[in-house]
Amino acid sequence: MPRIAVLPNTVVDQIAAGEVIERPASIVKELLENALDAGARSVEIDVTDGGRSRIRVADDGTGMPRDDAILALARHATSKIRRTDDLVGVGTFGFRGEALAAIASISAIEIETAAQDGAGTLLRAENGEVRDVGECSRRRGTTVTVTRVFSNTPSRLTFLRSPRSEWRATADALTSIALARRDVRLTATHDGRQTFALAPVSSLRGRVAALWGGAYADGLVAVDDVTGSIHVSGLVERPGDAGTAARRIFLSVNGRTVRDHGIVRAAEAAYRSTLPAGVRPSLLLELTVPGDLVDVNVHPMKAEVRFRDRWMLERAVEAAIRRALGTHESAPALGSRAWSFGGTQNGGVGTVVDTEVLRRADGGFGPLLDTPPGSAAPDSARLPDDAPIPPLVQLRDTYLMFERDDGIVLIDQHSAHERVLFERFLGTLERGEAPSQRLLFPLTLHLGPAEADAFEEHQDLFTALGFEVEGFGGHTLIIRAVPMPHPRFDAERCIRETLDALAGSRFASAAPRHERLAATVACKAAIKAGDALSAAEMRALFSALGATALPAHDVHGRATIVHVPWDEVDRRFGRR
Amino acid sequence: MRFTITREKLQEGLSAVTASIPAKTTLPVLANLLVETTERGIRLSGTDLDIAVSTEVIADVDSQGAITIPAKKLAEIARELPSAPVRVSATGEQRVTLECGKTRFRLLGLPKDEFPSFPSVRFSESWRVRSGDLQKLISHTAFAASTEESRPILNGVLWEMRPGHMRMVATNGHRLAKIELPLESVGAPSADLIVPPKALEQIRRLFAAEEDLEIARGDNHLGFRSPFTAVFTRLIEGPYPNYEQVIPRDNERVAVADRNALFQALKRMSIIASDQTHRIRLAFNAGMVKFSVQTPDLGEAQDELSVSYEGDPLEIGFNASYLLEILRYMPTDEVRMTFKAPERAATVEPMGWSDPAKYLCLVMPLRLVD
Repeated sequence: MPRIAVLPNTVVDQIAAGEVIERPASIVKELLENALDAGARSVEIDVTDGGRSRIRVADDGTGMPRDDAILALARHATSKIRRTDDLVGVGTFGFRGEALAAIASISAIEIETAAQDGAGTLLRAENGEVRDVGECSRRRGTTVTVTRVFSNTPSRLTFLRSPRSEWRATADALTSIALARRDVRLTATHDGRQTFALAPVSSLRGRVAALWGGAYADGLVAVDDVTGSIHVSGLVERPGDAGTAARRIFLSVNGRTVRDHGIVRAAEAAYRSTLPAGVRPSLLLELTVPGDLVDVNVHPMKAEVRFRDRWMLERAVEAAIRRALGTHESAPALGSRAWSFGGTQNGGVGTVVDTEVLRRADGGFGPLLDTPPGSAAPDSARLPDDAPIPPLVQLRDTYLMFERDDGIVLIDQHSAHERVLFERFLGTLERGEAPSQRLLFPLTLHLGPAEADAFEEHQDLFTALGFEVEGFGGHTLIIRAVPMPHPRFDAERCIRETLDALAGSRFASAAPRHERLAATVACKAAIKAGDALSAAEMRALFSALGATALPAHDVHGRATIVHVPWDEVDRRFGRR
Repeated sequence: MRFTITREKLQEGLSAVTASIPAKTTLPVLANLLVETTERGIRLSGTDLDIAVSTEVIADVDSQGAITIPAKKLAEIARELPSAPVRVSATGEQRVTLECGKTRFRLLGLPKDEFPSFPSVRFSESWRVRSGDLQKLISHTAFAASTEESRPILNGVLWEMRPGHMRMVATNGHRLAKIELPLESVGAPSADLIVPPKALEQIRRLFAAEEDLEIARGDNHLGFRSPFTAVFTRLIEGPYPNYEQVIPRDNERVAVADRNALFQALKRMSIIASDQTHRIRLAFNAGMVKFSVQTPDLGEAQDELSVSYEGDPLEIGFNASYLLEILRYMPTDEVRMTFKAPERAATVEPMGWSDPAKYLCLVMPLRLVD
C-alpha cells in the first residue's frame, strides 16, 4: 500500500478550515466580509448560543445567480479576483476563495440568495457536500445560515469557550469591521437581544460615539496627516485620559482591519514623555497607503499585512500623532460637551474638531500649506508664538488663567514649566551645550547608597546638563557648578530630589535614560505650585509653553492645559 | 485720646511708617498703624513682624491715649485733606474721628492691645554709627543678596563690626559684594549681624546722612534709633559662609577699563544673550577685550573695547546681568578687574576712589562650551 496519498477534498477543506475558521467569531467575520464585498448597504447578524447553534448573516448585496451559488461552496472559488495580478492592491476583504468552503466543511450551511428581487436560490450543504438546491423567494441579497458548527470536528468543539466569551470574540470582530465600514448599517442580535444597531455615519467619530458613547468619542483627539503618499487619520486618546478606561486598539490599512505591533509601537512612541510608565493609550487609526506598498496576502485570516517600507510608515504614524497631540485640543476639557450624532463631518461641538475644521478647509486631505514631509505642519491650533500674549491671571499661586474666543483656559504652572524645561533639557542633552554657573560656595551633598548609585549611573548626563559634580569619598558629592534654568532654581534641592526619584524608580520606565533624567530634573527644577509669579514670569512661561512641541501635557502625562468652553460656562449660569 | 496735628506733619509721619505695613496679611491688626501720644507729640508705628518702624512727629496733645487705625485709609485721607490742622480724637478703644476744616472722617480702628509689642532691644548697651556711613555700606552691597529661598542665610546682608572697621558683605552664591569702612564709632562691640536687606533699605531711606544712629542688639533683633525714628529688625540666624576663603588673592591677570564703555558694551551684548543664563563671552588680549554672544535659535553679536590688560590672553564666560549690576554700583569712572582662569572667580574694584572705603565685587564665571 502506498504510504503517500492525495487527501480527499473534504479533508483538505477541513485543514484549511483550521486556518481560517478558528471559532464562531471567524465565521461571522468571513460572512460579514463577504456581504460587504457584495456591496451590502445593510447587514443583519443573528447569533445564537455564542455561535455554536446558529449564525445567520443577511445582507442586501448583489446576491448570486443559481450556478454561482453552487460553485461558491467550492474551495478557491471566488468572484473577487481572476488573475495573479489582481492580488496586487486587492481592494476586497476576501479573495482567497476559501472561507465559504471552509465554513461549509465544518457545519451545516443554508444559503438563500437572489440577484434580483423575487426568485432566488435556496441551497443546503452539510459537511462540505451540497445536499439540496431549490428555489425560494426573497429580496435581492444573500442570507447565509450556519448551524451545527464544528459538529464534525469534535476536537474543535472541545476547544470552544463559553457562549459568552465566544460572543465577546464575535463582538470584537464586529466592532473592528463596524469601525472600518462606517457607511454600512449593521445590526446584530445575540440570543434574541439586540447588541449592535449602527446607522451609517460619515465619520469615525460618529461610529465611535455609536459604539462607546458620545462622551468617549468627544474625548478623543483627531489625527489627520499626510506624509508623502501615506495618509494617517483616526482618533487617539488624550494622554490625560489614557489608562482610565479599557484600552481600544483599532488599526486599518486601506480599509482592512489588521494587527500590527510595529505601527502600534510607533503610535505609542508619539506619546513618549506624556504618559506615566505602563500606561498605554487607545488608538483608532486608519492608514491609507498606495496599494503597491502593502501585501495583504500573508495571513490566512488577513489579520496581518506586510509593508514594503515599514520604517517610513511608522515614522508617518508617529509624526501624525505627535502633531495631533501638540495641539491645544488634546488638552482635556472640563465638563461634558454636547455631541450631535449623525451630523456632518465636523459634528462635534467644542474644540476637539478644530484641527479637522482647519485642515479640511481646502477640501482635500492635505495640510493647508505645502510643506516638505518631515517638517512641522502649519499648526494654527497651537498656542501661537508670535500672537500677543493675553492678560494672564494667577489663581491660587498654582494656575494661570486666560481667555480665548471659545472659552477660558487654565494652565498648571508647574506642569507647564516642567514641559518647557523638559524640552529644553532634552535639547541640551542632545546638543551638549549647557551653560553652567560656577558657585562661590560649592554645595555638599550627603547621599544614601541608592542615591549615590543613581548619581554614578547618570553622572555623564548631569555633567551634560551643566552640573559640575565631584565625588568626595563615600557618598558625598561636591557640586561646583550648576545650570541656571530660571531665577528661582534651587540646585541643591533639584539634584537631591532627582537622585531620590531616580533611586526609587530604577526599573519603572523603559524610556531612554537621557529622557528619563531630563524628565526627572525638569520636574524637580520647575517652579512649584504655590510659587507666586510676577506678570513678567507668567508671560515668559506662557510663550515658552507655546514654543514647546507638546504644550498640552507634562512629562507625567498630566494635562498642563484645561479648557473650559464658553458653552460650559454659559450652561452653568443657566444662559442656555 | 485727643490731639491736633498739621496735615504736613501727619503726612511726614505716615510716609515714614506706611512702607513697613505689609500688603497682605493674615493678622488684621498688621494692616493698622499704632498711634500713641508722647510728650513731644504722637508716635506712629507699623510692622510686618519682621521689621518694625516707628517715628515721632510733633503734635498738640490734649489727652493721652493710643489706638490703631487702618494704615492705608489713613494715608489716603491725609493725602486728600486740605492744608489745615487735623484734629484727631478717639472715643473708646475702636472709634477714631478726624476733623480738618469742615471735613470729618470717622474710622473704625482696633484696640491698642492687639498690636504686637516691639522687640526688646537694650539701647542702654548701644553703639553709634553715622547714618551716612551705614548708607554707603548698604547701597554698595544689599543688591547682591540672594532672593531665592533655598539658603536663607544668603537672603541677608552680613554686617561685621570689628575694632577699627566695619564691613558689609552680600552674596547669592554666584556673585558677591563687599565693602569695608574705617570705623569712628564709640563703644561698638565686635559682632557678626545678618540683616534682611528690606530692613537695611528702610534704614537707608529713613535716616538723614548726617544723623548719628544709636544701634543696639536684642536676642535676635537689631534696633536702630535716631532722636525721632526707630527701626527694629529680626536678624537672620546662622553662620554666614566663609567669604574670605573664596576671595581670590592670586589673580594675576588684570584689566582696567572705562566703566561706562564697558557697561554699554555689555548691555548691547545682553540683548542677544539667552534669557535664562545671560551668557556672554569675554576674550581679553593685550589692550583689548572682545565680547561675543551666541544664542541658539536667536543669533549672535560681537563687540570690542580697548582696555589695559596685563597677563596671558583669557577667554571667560559670564552672566552679563551680574556684571552689569556690579558696574552699576561701581563708584568710579574706571574699574579694575582681575582674573585667574576661565573657571575661577573674577573680581571688580573701583579705580582711584577717593573714599576711605574699600570696595570689592566678585563674580563667578559661566562655563564656556566651544
